[in-house]
Amino acid sequence: MAKSTTLSREYLYPTSVEEAVGLLAARQGGARVIGGGTDLMPDIRRGKLAPGCLVDITRIPGLDRIDVAQACEAKPACEAKPACEARPWSVTVGAAVTFTSLRNHTFLKQHVHALVEAAASVGGPPIQNAATWAGNIVQAMPAADGAVVAVALDAEVHIVDEDGARWRPVESLFEGPGISAVDPTRQLITAIRFSPPGFGGSSSASEAKPAWGTAWRRVGRRPALALPILNCAVAVSLEEGLSGRSELSREGRSIKRVAIALGPVGPRPERMREAESFLTGRMPTEEAIARAGELAAGEAKPRSSTFRASREYRLEIIPVLVAQALSAAFARAEPTVG
Amino acid sequence: MHWLEQDSDNRNDRTEARGSGSDQRVGGPPDVRRERDMSISFQLNGRPTTVAGDPARSLLDVLRRDLRLTGTKQGCDHEGECGACTVLLDGVAVRSCLTPVAKAAGRDVVTIEGLGQSGALHPIQEAFVELGAVQCGYCAPGMVLTAKALLDREPAPPRRQILEALAGNLCRCTGYLRIVEAVELAAARLRAEATPGSSHPRAPVSELGAPQRWVVGGDATRVDSVDKVTGRAQYVEDLRMSGILHARVVRSPHHHARLVALDVTRALDLEGVVRAMTAADIPGENGLGDYSRDEPILTPLNGTCKMQGAPVALVVAASPEWAQAGVEAIEAEYEILPHIFGIEEALAEDAVSIYPEGNILTTEAEAHGDLEEALDRSDVVLETRYHTTWQEHATLERETLLGYFDEKDRLTVVGGTHQPHWQRRYIAAALKLDTERVRVIMPPTGGSFGGRQDPWPFVATALATYGARAPVRLTYTRSESFEASPKRHPYRVRYRVGATADGCLTGIKVRVDANTGGYDGHGQYIANYALTASGGPYQYRAVDAHAQTVYTNGPKAGQFRGFGSPQSVFALESTLDELAERLGEDPLEFRRKNAIGQASTSFLGYPVAESLGYQEVLDSIRPRYRSLLEEAASFNAGSSSGGLRKGVGFSGMWYRFGKSGTLRIEAHAELSQDGGFVVYCSAPDYGQGTNTTMAQMAAEALGVPRGRVRVVNADTARTPDSHIQGASRATYFVGGAVCRATHVLREEILGAAAEMLDRAPIDLTLAEDRVLASPSDATEGVSGRVHAEGAETSVSLVEVAREFDRIGKSRKTRGVFDLSPLFPEDTRPEYIPLFVTGAQVAEVIVDTQTGEVVVPRVVAAHDVGRVINPLDARGQIEGAVVMGIGTALMEEYVPGASTGFGDYYLPTAMSMPEIDVTLVEVASFEGPYGAKGLGEAAIVPSAPAIINAISRAIGARIRSLPATPERVLSHLTADS
Repeated sequence: MAKSTTLSREYLYPTSVEEAVGLLAARQGGARVIGGGTDLMPDIRRGKLAPGCLVDITRIPGLDRIDVAQACEAKPACEAKPACEARPWSVTVGAAVTFTSLRNHTFLKQHVHALVEAAASVGGPPIQNAATWAGNIVQAMPAADGAVVAVALDAEVHIVDEDGARWRPVESLFEGPGISAVDPTRQLITAIRFSPPGFGGSSSASEAKPAWGTAWRRVGRRPALALPILNCAVAVSLEEGLSGRSELSREGRSIKRVAIALGPVGPRPERMREAESFLTGRMPTEEAIARAGELAAGEAKPRSSTFRASREYRLEIIPVLVAQALSAAFARAEPTVG
Repeated sequence: MHWLEQDSDNRNDRTEARGSGSDQRVGGPPDVRRERDMSISFQLNGRPTTVAGDPARSLLDVLRRDLRLTGTKQGCDHEGECGACTVLLDGVAVRSCLTPVAKAAGRDVVTIEGLGQSGALHPIQEAFVELGAVQCGYCAPGMVLTAKALLDREPAPPRRQILEALAGNLCRCTGYLRIVEAVELAAARLRAEATPGSSHPRAPVSELGAPQRWVVGGDATRVDSVDKVTGRAQYVEDLRMSGILHARVVRSPHHHARLVALDVTRALDLEGVVRAMTAADIPGENGLGDYSRDEPILTPLNGTCKMQGAPVALVVAASPEWAQAGVEAIEAEYEILPHIFGIEEALAEDAVSIYPEGNILTTEAEAHGDLEEALDRSDVVLETRYHTTWQEHATLERETLLGYFDEKDRLTVVGGTHQPHWQRRYIAAALKLDTERVRVIMPPTGGSFGGRQDPWPFVATALATYGARAPVRLTYTRSESFEASPKRHPYRVRYRVGATADGCLTGIKVRVDANTGGYDGHGQYIANYALTASGGPYQYRAVDAHAQTVYTNGPKAGQFRGFGSPQSVFALESTLDELAERLGEDPLEFRRKNAIGQASTSFLGYPVAESLGYQEVLDSIRPRYRSLLEEAASFNAGSSSGGLRKGVGFSGMWYRFGKSGTLRIEAHAELSQDGGFVVYCSAPDYGQGTNTTMAQMAAEALGVPRGRVRVVNADTARTPDSHIQGASRATYFVGGAVCRATHVLREEILGAAAEMLDRAPIDLTLAEDRVLASPSDATEGVSGRVHAEGAETSVSLVEVAREFDRIGKSRKTRGVFDLSPLFPEDTRPEYIPLFVTGAQVAEVIVDTQTGEVVVPRVVAAHDVGRVINPLDARGQIEGAVVMGIGTALMEEYVPGASTGFGDYYLPTAMSMPEIDVTLVEVASFEGPYGAKGLGEAAIVPSAPAIINAISRAIGARIRSLPATPERVLSHLTADS
């Protein structure tokens, strides 16, 4: 609580990323990036943070865009995304994009269910109207819906500061509960990007419907406006080679790649590597999926929380959530439909 | 380009500490906003607006404090948890509490004040009013704006989408159904408007009750909902007064601690602090009178704080921020004592002693018949044990009161409560004032559910006002409200119940322990209610019932909708469900078989005094119950349920209504000089609708349209004392007095008019603003004079009023509703046996792998006597059903941990089931127009119906509330 202390604050709307970086640098730690502000405002009110200057990046032209670059090899002019040649498409989400925009995005609704459902899980609709995916990731909370799904999607963020710009995997940003490698007093995230899982290789991307899918599963104390007891995002892809036509069951195609992210089961959004490596190369049978769930429970380290659930309960339902999410994702990866 | 600029050399160092509000005019010069402060311009409700100050201040504070747009409400502590502060930013619904005002720069902001054109309601507002979507009204502005953002984007949203859109806005009163239906109706109308030539869709009134049955000829809409839906209603937080000061409270951070030192000097050193008060500054009694016999207003030095949040000092300052600074500057030292929260610990032999007399506050017992013999002759005897937990009222409006000295220099406190006259008495005792020197006024109030019976905020506000000799507002923060306001008593209930193989109850032994926390808080009376409800409307050959109230160091418990009954009924109806299961009896038929009749001796040893509609209730709910059972069976038989199980649960109940305070209630009715009518009564309206009900009943008794009647309600300087409004007594008791007063007034008016018109009173009727003589064959007047053709056949009420004044006759009449003659002093039970009954059926779907539960449907049937206002009766039941979902599945206050809406889970719109309401009408013997009490009764069967449904779905008995996913799953794994 501010008493009789001085607090005169600047609030700035830079019109370019470069300007934003310059403003932050000039204030030498006294300024802080604000996106939607839904987490930052309570922190300022409680006195946890007292930035003398807020640099609002939500009006920088272009940062509110969701770009879907499809079949990049057909678009050699895709200069902004150097790594995407090998990918059939990639999605780039600007730092000012709100969860509502993610929820309502036509392409994402059709193709990236986990992201859309995770976006719909954040707080309630008015929070989603203001809160940004980038801000959610920078908050670095172990069960942040946006962070967990980003980790499952192997998303990368574009970080800009005085030293330049670089893409870094979202997963590498979390240094502890609420501690991010991104320093909002001198750096900003400008975009988040991801591609379908399993498309890093040289295989032809000519298949119209890649054999991949994502899913989201969340348990909470009530259906809206509640932090999760557990949330789980998965992204899977199946080996190509087999045609995958309707006469073949999905057991006919082995798992090429799988990502399983859970929260809160550790100090940050966590990937369940043992479960993932167990599944990789196997057929997505019910038994394999169930086993993966058990492995995930074995490697997860949830804690008890007063208001949400005990560690024991969380451990008990991890296999269920992981299995349900995997089943849904594999069903979506199944290219028999259409 | 930087949109916002400031001169950083000129720092306004007062802005933050003093707030930028216009409230702080005392103790210094008015807040000066330097021109070189950062200024922010935006369109506000279509008008260019510029504000200055800290750009990171919340838009909410700027709207309410700087711009005085108080239609935007604050329900939480700027945490985005409630939705009451929702505004539109470029057409998008956002939390204004989480929005830095700088984000408004260059944008369009729409608040509730900006909706509707030239005084006309927006179709959404209109639909809210029409369909009864507004009860306390505190969530209404946010709800309306959220709905507007949705409908602007999606003209024809399916219901699911409406629920999702509203999921961020909490409502504690309505259960969301009226709101959702209002949004649907508004959507249809807006679409029709957009399509020339199509008709204006009508409200689905046919489903809301047959208009011809409405007491006042059709208008059931609230008298105050237009004000609430437009943001015009002035709740206490919205009231302005020049020179107002702000109070905040120093509270014990410990659950049990002795106050060993208290020093306020550092607080008084602060420039903005006006007063710092301790127990030593209380002129009169440091207590809350007979309301809470052991609870000091402020814990005295060397006294013991029995709970976390126990108040020790008050700070009065020029702004809320200064007051908070003062609170932090006060040095209090405590000797920490061991504390206990649980009933078992409090009753242990070596228990921590909370009071020297022991840890039991009161006991109640009732026994008749030979219990052991009855149980011996039973084929099944069941022993059960159930637990409930603390519940928070969680009204959207926080505790907010305003104290000042009125024009007659009376110390006046404006605040929502159930008992203005009693609050006046407590204030007078604490300040050693004559009660006539004190006045309490009921303002529009954002919900209560019993929570606002607590006298503490009234006495504290009065003390602060008295000490500062200036207007003072006391507003709790939300976390303070969680910490310091009364809770629902947690119970432990143990049964031994027997039945014969053919399903007849034999004997019942029940032991109830109610946890009253650190203070009495009327817990002295809870034991009796606990005991009464613990047997229900069923017959037993033998009864051995005992209930006691137990002290712990938990939060003080107090009144909460159903006062002590829901917890007992949860345990009883769960136990009966278990018994039915053991006997192979159908749960509903088992209740019916054992239900008492009108003349039977009740569980309490005497017959009921009011009409009892329990058989009718059971009969009315049976068909829906049967069909839900069948649906559930076929769902569960299907192979594709994927770990989901459906369950259907039944609960009956009775609730003793009406007796809280006196059996004799008075109300006044007046013919005003302008020919209108004014009713004076004390039936405080905290959102449940008594302002409207009283007007309806008065209008009916007078035979005039409701618009002719104005209600002056609950102002100790103007309205008669009705003691405390609890036990759902307003309609029955106060309504009864209002009917009598207005009936007498009508007689007197007709009498006077008869003289004036020279007709017999029986030939006269009241209509609108006149008394009319009915057309009659007789041309001879009562005086024997023969009327000429065209003689006067009517007289205006203005003329009648003038005639009253001319002959020196009072235009005010008195009506008394008095049940004491029915219950002679020597045979009267302590609590008179007025009962209402009801039953609910809940359908649940349980995810047997995670323990998650959803409630898709609840069917509710309640005996309401005769319906006065069908919209409101339904609204009460729907709200109770959703509150019951909270009780059953979500709500759990954890002492020392719960802080607000972020960690105390209230049902959102996403939790709303389909709700089928049946109003069973078995007219009361004594109530006005046959009415009975309803508001509290409706909550009683909800939780047990849901818990019975879960228990039947999973084949294991849930014995503690709430049934969180974790608790449900633990039963599944333990029993499998």
